[in-house]
Amino acid sequence: MIFIWPAVVMILIFSIFPLVASAIMALSRIRLRGGSYKVRFVWFQNFEKQLFGTEQFHFLGTFAGMSALGWIVALAITGGIVWWVLRYVRSSFTVLGFVGRLFTWGLCLGVGWLLAATFFSGHQFGTLGTTLFYVFVGCGVQFVIGLGLAFLCSMPIRGRSFFRVVFFIPLMITPIGVGYAFRMMADTTKGPFAPAWQWVGLGDFSWAADPWAARFFIMIGDSWQWIPFIFVVMLAALESVPRDYVEAAQVDGASSWEIFKDITWPQVVPVAATVLLIRVIEAFKIVDLPNIMTAGGPGIATESMTLHALFAWRSLDLGQSSAVAYLLLFVTVVSCVSFFNLVVLRRIRA
Amino acid sequence: MTLMQRLFEPRSIRTMAPGTKVLVYSVLLFWTAFVLFPIYWVLITSFKTAVDVNGGPVYLPFIDFQPSLHAWKELFVFDYKDTLRAYMNSLIIALSSTAASVLIGSMAAYALARFEYRPKFGVVLMFVLMMIAVFVAVGKYGVDWRLSTAVGVAIFYFLARALGRHFSASLGNGDILFWMISQRILAPIVVVVPIYMMFQQVRLLDTHIAVILTYTVINLPIVIWLMYDFFRSIPYDLEESAQLDGATRLGVFFDIVLPLSRTGLAATTLLVMILSWNEYLLALFLSTSKAQTMPILVAAMNAGERGILWWSMSVVIIVMIIPVIVLAIILQRYISKGLLLGAVKG
Amino acid sequence: MTVVLDKISKSFGAVKVLHDLSLDVQDGEFLVLLGASGSGKSTALRMIAGLETVTAGSISISGRDVTEELPKNRDVAMVFQSYALYPHKTVAENIGYPLKIRRMNRTDMEAQVRDVAAQVQLDALLDRYPRELSGGQRQRVALARAMVRRPAVFLMDEPLSNLDAKLRGHMRAELKHMQHELGITTIYVTHDQVEAMTLAHRVALLEGGKLQQLATPKVIYDDPENLFTAQFIGSPPMNVAHGTLDAGTFVVGEDRVATGGGASVKNAVIGLRAEDCRVVAPDQGAIRAKLFANELIGDHTLVTAKVGEDMLSIKAPKDFEAGFDEAIGIAFDPDRIYMFDKDTGARIRQG
Repeated sequence: MIFIWPAVVMILIFSIFPLVASAIMALSRIRLRGGSYKVRFVWFQNFEKQLFGTEQFHFLGTFAGMSALGWIVALAITGGIVWWVLRYVRSSFTVLGFVGRLFTWGLCLGVGWLLAATFFSGHQFGTLGTTLFYVFVGCGVQFVIGLGLAFLCSMPIRGRSFFRVVFFIPLMITPIGVGYAFRMMADTTKGPFAPAWQWVGLGDFSWAADPWAARFFIMIGDSWQWIPFIFVVMLAALESVPRDYVEAAQVDGASSWEIFKDITWPQVVPVAATVLLIRVIEAFKIVDLPNIMTAGGPGIATESMTLHALFAWRSLDLGQSSAVAYLLLFVTVVSCVSFFNLVVLRRIRA
Repeated sequence: MTLMQRLFEPRSIRTMAPGTKVLVYSVLLFWTAFVLFPIYWVLITSFKTAVDVNGGPVYLPFIDFQPSLHAWKELFVFDYKDTLRAYMNSLIIALSSTAASVLIGSMAAYALARFEYRPKFGVVLMFVLMMIAVFVAVGKYGVDWRLSTAVGVAIFYFLARALGRHFSASLGNGDILFWMISQRILAPIVVVVPIYMMFQQVRLLDTHIAVILTYTVINLPIVIWLMYDFFRSIPYDLEESAQLDGATRLGVFFDIVLPLSRTGLAATTLLVMILSWNEYLLALFLSTSKAQTMPILVAAMNAGERGILWWSMSVVIIVMIIPVIVLAIILQRYISKGLLLGAVKG
Repeated sequence: MTVVLDKISKSFGAVKVLHDLSLDVQDGEFLVLLGASGSGKSTALRMIAGLETVTAGSISISGRDVTEELPKNRDVAMVFQSYALYPHKTVAENIGYPLKIRRMNRTDMEAQVRDVAAQVQLDALLDRYPRELSGGQRQRVALARAMVRRPAVFLMDEPLSNLDAKLRGHMRAELKHMQHELGITTIYVTHDQVEAMTLAHRVALLEGGKLQQLATPKVIYDDPENLFTAQFIGSPPMNVAHGTLDAGTFVVGEDRVATGGGASVKNAVIGLRAEDCRVVAPDQGAIRAKLFANELIGDHTLVTAKVGEDMLSIKAPKDFEAGFDEAIGIAFDPDRIYMFDKDTGARIRQG
C-alpha cells in the first residue's frame, strides 16, 4: 500500500482538486477584493459569453455570413458525418458506443461548421480554430516527416548514428529558445535569409504581420522541435521489426516499397498510433511558441486556447479564464478519447 | 535494363541503387542543415556585437565579422546575479522534481504492476461528492478552508470504513492506471489557477517547493506509464527469490527492481528532466521573482526597452541547452529503447 | 534444378566465417548443411538466398550465375527458423503473398493457395492468424508459403528446431515425404545430426567455416574422413582414446592394440563406436578400463568406462550390472576401429 499512496494523494491534491475547483470557477464570476476573492455563482454565463456573447469573435471567430464555398464545405461535412452515423448504426450498434460517438460526431460537426463559416467564408477564426490548426495540421506534418526520416535512417546508409544524433537535437532545445531562434531566422531584414528575401522583393515583408504566415511560422518552429520525437520512436519501432519478416519478403520477391507497405508498416502501426496520440495530447497545450514568437498576434491570429486563457487570467477575469480552459479540456478529451478508441485500440487489437 | 531500373534497382541486398542513394542522402543532408542551422545561428549570434547583428546578416566568424565575447562577459561578469539565480532555481527545481516524480511514479507503477488493488466504486464516488461538498462550504458559505477540508476528510474516512464493504462494484488496476495516465491529457491551464490560489492560501507562492510539487505531479503520468511497462517486462522470479531470502517489499524494490530497470529509468529521467527544465506556463504562474526559472527569465528578456538584445539572448539560450545535452549524452543509449517500450505496449 | 557453389567465402570485417566452400547440389537432391552454431552453415544458406553478399567465389542456380543477383531474381524460396509468418496476415494471405507480389490475378491465386494448403492439411485454417496456430501448424504455413510459387530451390534454415521433440519427429517424416513428392532441390540447414542423417541424400558437414566432409549419411557415419566428423556424427558420439601409434600398434596405458597397419604416429587417437564395443572380464578385453557409471536406457545399458583420462561409452545388454570403479575389459572387432592423427585430425587409413 505504501507504494501507491504518494502518487494517489499527489494527483488528488494537484490535479483532481484543482480540476473540480476550476469547474466551479468556470461557473462563477470572481472578483478580487482587497486580497481575498469574492465568488458569485453564475451558471453558464462565462461559457455563453465565449460561445455566443461578446467574446465569440475571440474564441470561435467572426461570423458574417457564409460564402458559397462555406456552404459547400458545411454540407459536405454534414453529409460525411451522417454517412458515418448510418454506417455505424447499420454495422454494429451498442448503446455505450453510440453515446460515446455522439460526442465525436458532435465535435466534428461543430468544428466543421465553424471552419465553413469562418475559414472557408473568408472570415477570421478564433483561438479554437488556431489551436486545432496547430494540433491537426502541425501533428500531421510532424508525423509524416518524422516517419519519413525514420524510414530513411532505417535503410543501409553510412553515418546512421550521425544522422540519428543530429536529428534528435531539437527535442533538447528549450521551446523558448526555439521561439527566439525562429524569430531570428524569420527576420527579413537582419536574419540569415535577409538577402534572399530582398532578392525576391519581400525585403519589408514581416512574418509576424500576416495571419497565415504567422501561423505557419509558429507551426514550423513547433515541428522543428517535435519531429525528432516522432523520428526517434518510429526509428526504434522500424528497427524492432524482426529482420526475418523483411528477409522473407525479400526472398519472396517484394520490392522495398512493397516491403514497407505490406510488412513493416502494419507492424509499426500500433506504435505510430500511440506516438501520434501522445503528440496530439501535448500539442493541444501549445502556449510557449505563440507567446514568444508573436504574442498571439497579429490580432488574435496565432493565439492558442491556452494563451487565450492566460491572457484572460492576466486581466484578472478568472471565470472567463477557467471557462476557456474548460473548453480546451473538452475539445482535447473528446478528440483524444475518440482517437484512442477509434484508432489506437483498433490498431493494437488488429 | 531501362534507365529507371538502372537508377533505382539495387545491386544487392546491402547496397542502394545510385538513384536512391542520391535521393536519400540529399534528403538527409537537407534535414541536417535544417536542424543545425538555427542552432549555428544562435551560437554565432552570441559572439556578435550589436553592430554585427543590426547591420544585416553576417555568417562566418573571423571572415564576416570579428567574434566578441562581450555578450558572454555581460552575462557572466557584469550582470550575473539574476541569471545565476534563475539558473540555480531551474537546476534545483528540475532535479528535485525529476527525482521526486521518478521515485513516486516508479513506486506507484511497481505497485500497479505487481499487486492487485480493488477500490470500491462507491467509495470513489463518495470521495468526489465529499470534495464538492467541501468546495461548496468554502466557496458559498465562507467556511475556513482548513476546517472544512479536515471535516470533509474525517467524514469521508469514517463513511468509507463504515459503508465500504457494502459496495459491490469495484475497479481494478487497469482503471487506476488509466486514471493516472489520463491526467496527462489535462492541459496545465485548466488546473493552474486553482493551484495558484492554493499556494497563495498556504503562502508558498514563488517558492521552490510550490514549483517542485506541481512539476512532480504534472510528470507523474509519464513516469507511471513508462515504468509500468518496464516493470511488467521484468520477470517475477527474481523478486520472489529475493523475498524467499528474506527481503522486505521495499527492499526488493530498491535492491532488485530499480537496478534491473536502469534502461527505463534513464529514458524516463531524461524525458521528465527535459520537460521540467523547459516548462514555461506553470512557472509563469507560480514563480514570479524569487523562484523564477530560466524559461521565465529568458521570456522576460523580450520586454526590454531597447528591443531584444539578440546577443545576450543567444548566450542565455546556449547556457540553457547545455545541461540537457550533457544529460542526453550520458543517457543517450537508453533513450530510444526506453521510449519505444512504452510506446509499443502503451 | 542444380545449385553450384564455387569456392564461396564470406568475411564480416576481419572475421572470416566461410572459407572456400564448394558444393554441387544435384537436381531434386536433399542436401543438408550440418554444423554446430558458428560453423557458417546459416551464412552459406543466406548467401544462396541472396540475403548475404558473397565476399569471393560464385553461386549459380540452374546453371545461371546469380552471385550478384537480388533474392527476388533467384527463384528460391526460404523457410526461416522463426517461420517469419507475417502476424497481421491470415494464413491464406501469408501463403498467397509471394503470388500477390507477382501480380497474379485473384482467382488463380486463391486456387493455388487452396491447393497448397490442402497438401499440408491447412485447408480448415486459412482464415486464422498465425498467433492462433500451434507450432506445427505455423511450420506448415511457412512450408506452404515456400511451396506455393514452385521455386527452383527450397532453402530451409533449421525449420524444425522450434518444435517439441515429438512433433519434430513427425514433421521430419512429412518433410521427407513432401520433398520426394515435389522433387524440388532442397538445401536444409540444421545442427541436429539426427535430422541430417534421416533427411539427407547427402550431408555436408561444416566446422569453422570449412567443409569437413560431403557424403551420404551412410558413408559419413561409417567412413568419417577426420576426427571431427567421427565425433560429430553418432549418438553417443564416437569414443576416442589417446595414445601412441607405434608401427601399426596402438599403445594406450599398458595395453597394446594391433591396428593392422604399419604407421607410426606419436599423438594418435583410436576411435570406437559404442555399439562396436563389448564389456568383458578385465583380462579378456583389448583395453583395460575402470567402470565410471552405468545407465539403463531401456533396450540397452550405456556403460561409461574410464581409460586413462578418456571416457568411453559402450552399449551393453540391458541386464548388465557392475559396481562403480570395478575393473573391466573392453573388447571390439579389429575391423571396426578408426585411427586418427591427433594433431591434424586426419584419418590414418591402413592396409
